[in-house]
Amino acid sequence: MNPFPKADELTRRQFVSNAARAYLGVHLFPLLGGTLASAAPETVAKGGSAKNVIYLFMAGGMSHVDTFDPKPAKKEVMGKTEAIATKVDGVMVGHYLPKTAAVMDQVCVINSMNSTQGAHAQGSYIMHTSYDMRGTIKHPSLGSWVLRLGGRIHPELPGFVAVNSVPENTSGGFLGAKFAAAPIGSPDAGLMDSRRPGNVTTEDFERRLALADRMNRQFHGRYPNADVKAYEELYREAISLMNSKDLSAFDLRQESESTRKLYGSSRFAQGCLLARRLVDNGVRFVEVQLGGWDTHYDNFAGVAGRCQEFDQAYAALITDLAKSGKLKDTLVVVATEFGRSPEIQTEHNGGRDHHPQAFSCLLAGGGIKGGVKHGSTDASASKVKDGIVTVQDFNATIAHALALPYDTIVMSPSKRPFKIADKGVPVTSLFG
Amino acid sequence: MKCLIMITAALAALCGGVWAQSLKPQEDFKFLKNAATQVDQQIAAFYRSKNLAVPPVTDDATFLRRAFLVAIGRIPTAEETVAFLEIQDADKREALINYLLKSGGFSSHMTNWAFDLLRVTDGSIGSGANNEPYRYWIRTAMSDNMPWNEFTNKLIASSGDGWDQKTAAVGYYTRDRGMPLDNLSNTMRVFLGTHMECAQCHDDPYGTTDRRDFYQLAAFTHGQGTVGQEHMAPLWKELREAKGGRDEEYRVGQVLWDRVYGMSLGGGGAGQIALPTDYQYRDAKPGDVLGAETPFGQKVHISKSRGESAGREKLAQWIVAKTGEQFSSVIANRMWKRVMGKGIYEPVDEFIPANQTNCPGLVSCLEKLMVDLDYDLRAFQRVLLLTRTFQFATNPNPSSIQGGDDFHGRKIERLSAEQIWDSLITLAVGDPDRQAPRALDDRIYVANRPVLSGQKTMTQLSQEVLALKSERELRSYFANLVKEINTGSASGQESMMGMSSKPSYNNDAKVRSSELPSPAPRNHFLYLFGASDREVVDASSREPNVGQVLSLMNGFVQRELVNKTSAHLYKSLEGASAASEKIRRLYIAILSRPPTGEEMSWTADEVKKQGDAGYRNIVSALVMSSEFLFLQ
Repeated sequence: MNPFPKADELTRRQFVSNAARAYLGVHLFPLLGGTLASAAPETVAKGGSAKNVIYLFMAGGMSHVDTFDPKPAKKEVMGKTEAIATKVDGVMVGHYLPKTAAVMDQVCVINSMNSTQGAHAQGSYIMHTSYDMRGTIKHPSLGSWVLRLGGRIHPELPGFVAVNSVPENTSGGFLGAKFAAAPIGSPDAGLMDSRRPGNVTTEDFERRLALADRMNRQFHGRYPNADVKAYEELYREAISLMNSKDLSAFDLRQESESTRKLYGSSRFAQGCLLARRLVDNGVRFVEVQLGGWDTHYDNFAGVAGRCQEFDQAYAALITDLAKSGKLKDTLVVVATEFGRSPEIQTEHNGGRDHHPQAFSCLLAGGGIKGGVKHGSTDASASKVKDGIVTVQDFNATIAHALALPYDTIVMSPSKRPFKIADKGVPVTSLFG
Repeated sequence: MKCLIMITAALAALCGGVWAQSLKPQEDFKFLKNAATQVDQQIAAFYRSKNLAVPPVTDDATFLRRAFLVAIGRIPTAEETVAFLEIQDADKREALINYLLKSGGFSSHMTNWAFDLLRVTDGSIGSGANNEPYRYWIRTAMSDNMPWNEFTNKLIASSGDGWDQKTAAVGYYTRDRGMPLDNLSNTMRVFLGTHMECAQCHDDPYGTTDRRDFYQLAAFTHGQGTVGQEHMAPLWKELREAKGGRDEEYRVGQVLWDRVYGMSLGGGGAGQIALPTDYQYRDAKPGDVLGAETPFGQKVHISKSRGESAGREKLAQWIVAKTGEQFSSVIANRMWKRVMGKGIYEPVDEFIPANQTNCPGLVSCLEKLMVDLDYDLRAFQRVLLLTRTFQFATNPNPSSIQGGDDFHGRKIERLSAEQIWDSLITLAVGDPDRQAPRALDDRIYVANRPVLSGQKTMTQLSQEVLALKSERELRSYFANLVKEINTGSASGQESMMGMSSKPSYNNDAKVRSSELPSPAPRNHFLYLFGASDREVVDASSREPNVGQVLSLMNGFVQRELVNKTSAHLYKSLEGASAASEKIRRLYIAILSRPPTGEEMSWTADEVKKQGDAGYRNIVSALVMSSEFLFLQ
């Protein structure tokens, strides 16, 4: 069930009065959220138990060798990195991740990821969309797909929020701007400009909207264009958002000092905390990005720095969700565009290059079995040895965790068929 | 009305016909005008062949706004609008184009384009190096309108000192230190419209490029290093490993290691390269050494046994002069997209030979024009801006041709983040191009604090350090430098300068986007509206999102424009008393046109009901409107 065509039918004249009513506190779509959440998946008989996704994207290409696929026996591959034991027998991680090691009983490590794309733009595009970059069409990102197939949960808060990300990765693609992420640049600042300026009265605020709407109606009448229309719809969305009593979901100051400390003070850590608050409040999909993994030059210093931000925040997020019992509703994904070469480039001060042939991603919560390792690489972490998981399989698994029909075909406006995970098939053995 | 005079003066110069015979084509207005007619003839032939009606030409107000936004990236000020709309001269559109191309705004807007294309950022994560001199070099090249072939050549072939403006183009490589193969893939994509990313790791199953081809090409740029960083290696190791006591020395050492040596580029391109350890094909073994060889065009190669020390120069020469029409076609198509809104072929970084495009005659004509104009991008854009094609009325429908322009009227498109920002600051402070572009900041910063101010610049420091010939010389220079800096700070001379840390613009700083930090901070208006993060080529977005709408309703626009009585916009109301006149002026300032009769009646009503607040409500509504955000 797609909720949006219904919303589309609202005439523009209704928009004026709706905009005003929404702002005056009359909730327009009080029941809409309910209908959506109950929309039954059509083709997936059984999937995971996730309702929300927190998707942590390690931009630049996270070294699998130094994090989740160490090869302690191979000194020449490991360089300065040492493998340490985790809470789970047989699962080891790089020594930069002591806190993560302690929550590995909740986490499934996939060591057999394989991508066909070895450049950043193409690699992160395929991870986010399941398709190769094309000049002729823009594919929707995962969060947009999840909204399209599963609907949003909270009627007023955005269904898809992206923290510290880039529009390339969080675009609604051919599904349109209403499925694109609401961007958060700084988690501390929350959703910027979501409150009416103090010196503007409610009446004036409304009059502005009504005037702008008249202008826009004229303009759209003259130029019936999809992007022009998208802005009209976003005004309606923004107003109900401003008026939502749950807007405080974006406010990190509402968290106790001890919780904030648990996550750490880095931007990524605060992003993780914000993600948890948002899913608590019914945001369907939150992406948080941690950049700087492109460690061609001095890989070991680079990985140490990135892990310092990642380790505490990730462990805190898993711990926090597990404690509140929300982990079964929330799929926590750690993804990246590719791994890094087992060979160490001495002329680049110990750097590692791109390595899409084999890399690691993590899944936790949402019905995924914890303390599990799926697939493996050869002795030097160079090639996938068994249990290969393609980018598309990985995305199908995410859809499956949400019990979404991953094989649903959605037609683009140019009448071409697309699916959330292209030809990917979920790895069902990961579910408990 | 200063600009009225300027436009009139430009007109006079035009009509005077004083152009000498010896002018180069790019300086000869007649030549440019004639070229514009030829472009229009190609478009007319295209219409005839497709049986399409020729679109009408747009009205003055739409033309004015379009020309400003396309040529200089901002809306006209109220003064500029009035001047243009009031002139009755038949040639005023030509005069306007000349006025715009003389404006400092032109190079500011080109700078955004170049920064997106070349991924120019102020710094890079995990390195103390910064790209200030490289950024400044590009900014200057855009101001000086450096020909595109010369610009390309400097980027690809330069070696040496990163701070010396003669060689600061080395930033093109030092920005990508440690990833020379990715850098090379981008070079091919940016300048030749050839995608070789796949072949970095494997033969391209869909294309014609093998992994071996890629490595042969990479041989030209192989062996990039620094200029003499090895002289400092032992000292740097000592400083890094020293436990306490040498902190100040360590910080001074960082300046030399990261910002002098780290920003220099040694090695002109070895001309040979070893295949990687995971090379998987039968024609060679991992570790085999290949000589440099170009994959298409006129073949250039370097023998693997001899090697070379100027491989990058040879590569640059090949790109700009030995790839047939490919180099000129790609930049001509990029410029077409920039001016007309859509590339003749898209994506613009995938070259298509003229005869395989939808409009072969036009593509050939533009390739040739680019060469005739000696790759002068300003003159080339002038030709396109002078065409009738540029003046066609707005067409709300997307191009009917998949992957390219159908030339059927101006496609409606949201402005780029930079165009919106630069337009908003025009409303907030008036013509932003009166402010001088920022100067090169070449002060020496130790831990973010400037030192030796007035005594030594980074440019001088870099020159001196790179001239050192041995470890011994380096050590003695370093000891001296530490002493100088310590004496300087002890005498309190630095603090008297009042410069405690690096200058930076806050998020409301009302300067052109080309002056702001790159990439835009994550909590800046530009980020919200889709400015590129400049990690990948041309990564900006024009996609709407809810954050943008919130920002327009409650953010910067309200804070700095609508609710700020000192905003430049409100100056245009001075001297007007009738409500209708004030409304008319607000429309002209914000939308570059007078209100329609219908609009006048709503807005007059607004003022009647709300008094002064009514004007603010009108301003707010106009800036929030789609008409403000979209290019017609």
